Amino acid sequence: MRGHRDLKWVCVAAVVAAVVAALVPWDVVRLLAALPLAVFLPGYAITVAAFGPQRLDPQRLAMLTLLCGLSLLCLGGIVLNFLPGGIRTVTWALLLILVVIAAARAAALRRGRPDGRLSGWTRPRLRGVDVACLVLAAVVVVGTLVFAYTPLPASKAVGYTALWMLPAKNAADPALKVGVISAEQGRQHYRLEVRIGENGKPKRYHLALDPGEERVVRVPVNVPAGKKRHVVVSLYDSERPHELYRRVTTWTAGSQPGEG
Amino acid sequence: MSSRDSRASGRRRRLLAAGPSPLALIVLGAAVGLLLCAYTNALSREGGDPTQIVYWAGVLLIVVPIAARISMEDVSLRERFALVALFGLSLYAVKVIRDPFLFTFPDEPIHAYNANQAILHHGLFNGNPILPVTSGYPGLASATSALISLSGLSSFTAGVILIGLARLLLVLSLFVLFTRVSGSHRLAGLAVVIYAGSSNFLYWGVQYSYESLSLPLLVAVLAAFAEREAAGPKLVRSWAVPIVLGTMAVVVTHHLTSYALVIVLVLLAVIYRLARSPKPNPWPFALFTAVLAGGWMVIAANNTVDYLDPVFSGAVTSIWNTVFGDSQARGLFESASTDLVYTTPFVARLITLGAVGLLLLGFLAGIREVWARRENKPFVWLFCLGAAGFFATLALRFAPEAWETGNRAAMYLFIGLAFVVAYAALRLIRKGPRLMLRRAALLASIAVVVIGGAIAGWPWDSQLAQPTRITAGGVEIESEPITLARWIGAQLPGRKFAAADADARMILAPGGAQAKTGEALSIKTILEENSLLNWELPSLRGNGLGYLVADRRKVSTDPGRGSFFYVPGSPKHALRPPATMHKFGEVPLGRTYDSGNLVVFDLRSRP
Repeated sequence: MRGHRDLKWVCVAAVVAAVVAALVPWDVVRLLAALPLAVFLPGYAITVAAFGPQRLDPQRLAMLTLLCGLSLLCLGGIVLNFLPGGIRTVTWALLLILVVIAAARAAALRRGRPDGRLSGWTRPRLRGVDVACLVLAAVVVVGTLVFAYTPLPASKAVGYTALWMLPAKNAADPALKVGVISAEQGRQHYRLEVRIGENGKPKRYHLALDPGEERVVRVPVNVPAGKKRHVVVSLYDSERPHELYRRVTTWTAGSQPGEG
Repeated sequence: MSSRDSRASGRRRRLLAAGPSPLALIVLGAAVGLLLCAYTNALSREGGDPTQIVYWAGVLLIVVPIAARISMEDVSLRERFALVALFGLSLYAVKVIRDPFLFTFPDEPIHAYNANQAILHHGLFNGNPILPVTSGYPGLASATSALISLSGLSSFTAGVILIGLARLLLVLSLFVLFTRVSGSHRLAGLAVVIYAGSSNFLYWGVQYSYESLSLPLLVAVLAAFAEREAAGPKLVRSWAVPIVLGTMAVVVTHHLTSYALVIVLVLLAVIYRLARSPKPNPWPFALFTAVLAGGWMVIAANNTVDYLDPVFSGAVTSIWNTVFGDSQARGLFESASTDLVYTTPFVARLITLGAVGLLLLGFLAGIREVWARRENKPFVWLFCLGAAGFFATLALRFAPEAWETGNRAAMYLFIGLAFVVAYAALRLIRKGPRLMLRRAALLASIAVVVIGGAIAGWPWDSQLAQPTRITAGGVEIESEPITLARWIGAQLPGRKFAAADADARMILAPGGAQAKTGEALSIKTILEENSLLNWELPSLRGNGLGYLVADRRKVSTDPGRGSFFYVPGSPKHALRPPATMHKFGEVPLGRTYDSGNLVVFDLRSRP
């Protein structure tokens, strides 16, 4: 690849991007490395390998880079699927580096000796006023994206509360987990009643939850071995304390001797 | 010209030279257009009902200045190319800012699930409980998995970036293709802008779905093919590389697109023969694509026929029944979702019908122009055929089961129509008297065509964002189905659920669990009826489903509308009778989760 600066840069960039994508912990930085590594560098390398000494105009080069880059991504996963390791960061990075280096090598061989011709690319000349306009546009776009990605209050949207119940895992004694999730528009007070068995005495819990808050209560269940009890958990909203708001139920069996 | 006129003209030129370039101004305009769209969507997400005029003004602020500049004569190839890229990306951004938090279009969660499963299992072909055929076409999941693996992003963000790249490829490829076939980059630029009038351009065509990736690949393959035909003998082999690579990618990404590519190449081969073209006949490429597509269907995606057969046979039956009066014709502009019918305002209907009328006029004038120019290139013939085919598909919109087939086919046929209409557009703005007036008429027509297409392709009530994530007391909260999906992801990962269409999709992604829906195992019937039959729940259990999500919201069967917050007064928020929920208590079944409208029943929790 001696003398072919573009090919050398493509290979170096692919290796650097792969290292960054594999090792750096920050997603944004990884994305900045992943995009060229996944799409642009392999796309460019395959295109120049296919066309050898022929220089393409920017329009065709851009189209082919995207076409080859995206096509490789569609096909690469299928190749990795049948290779040891499968789809992983390392395997993707290795595959893409391999493609870039192989294609760049092929391009160098097809091109032969560098002819010393300058690239057909010319940098667009931008005046100060154009730069100002583009910077302003960039600011507006960034502002728009920030605005669009910021959740806003929606007073007309009706909030809700979710009540759930599941067996508690890894508990020494049999127990149930009962959770209350508030997605109400404001702070809400609740009364939670847990009744085990038809004639069981209800256990009561009083909760106050802010929007987005979840509270999980662990309820021990002492059911004799071989018996099954109906567990009913009812949630009442403090604004309507006598009106059932939410209810979850289950049948829980007593553990057999020796069962943990 | 008098000396005063020449001085004024000189002053104007100096003023123009001192000001920003048209391209920079257009970029700024597009940014402001996006801001307007984001503003209207924000109002809509707040639960309000903002006027859509501001939103459409934002879209037009993107479309019209680009169309105006691109249609000018003295614009360089490079600038036109940049304008085309800006056009594609800006209109894609309109969709992105509509759904900034998670995928809400009907197919998106299905494909996000495939991508997540690829990461989870380190491989493809993991099956899909809602749309099994998607697992056999893993091109999109493969590409997304690369971005997820390398960047650590979620499938949502990786998908948004990937479809953005696909959209960029689409517009650039259309431009290269049209430029090569017409020999005019002015006509090509106009044709790309007109293509935005396709009913699926603004929304459906950029949802995170396999066709959104495969269609751009198809167009790029065609563009490479057209380039190959025009290239000298030295470069014929070079162009074959991207053609073969792109064809393989299309085949592993989407069934219908691969068949469309076969059809296009076969048609081209026939046209080459009929036109006695001196260029080598493309039948080897057609054969190669057909073998590849057929082979893939047999080896990797053998459920494709089971998936496509009901779609096409249903469409044919529906057309037959509609034509012979056995069933009622579908009402235009009506989006029937469950038993709720959403209608489109009169003005919006008028714009859409106006768009079709303008396209028909453009088609007739374009064909006349093509004829007058004695264009005998095979691609021009192909485009003319496609353009005529587009109007044939419009008739399918009257048949209830066939309208979607027509709508999807139009995405492909519109490529030809855009090209033919661009001839008419160029003719309209040829040099002569009243040029300004004719240019204004062209831009107004383009505005009507683009907006009309968007209205035809996506229901009026769904054009703007709906609340999925809001803030309350400074904290973010999400809608009922999304909270349920996230709870399932945290508490019951890997379990299998029966749920209504919208809920099932959310359970797949972001929930990450498995869900079946619709007609499968009679789930739709079980959820909607007021009483249960003896065999229904055992059938669900027998098929490995552990939980059932009952949803009283009628909109829950509509995957495009069922994932949002409840906003009172909206027709979307009608409820089913309480009996649809109570019937499960009579069985009885354990209730694991209750958020009011949504209740999760544990099918194995019994007395």
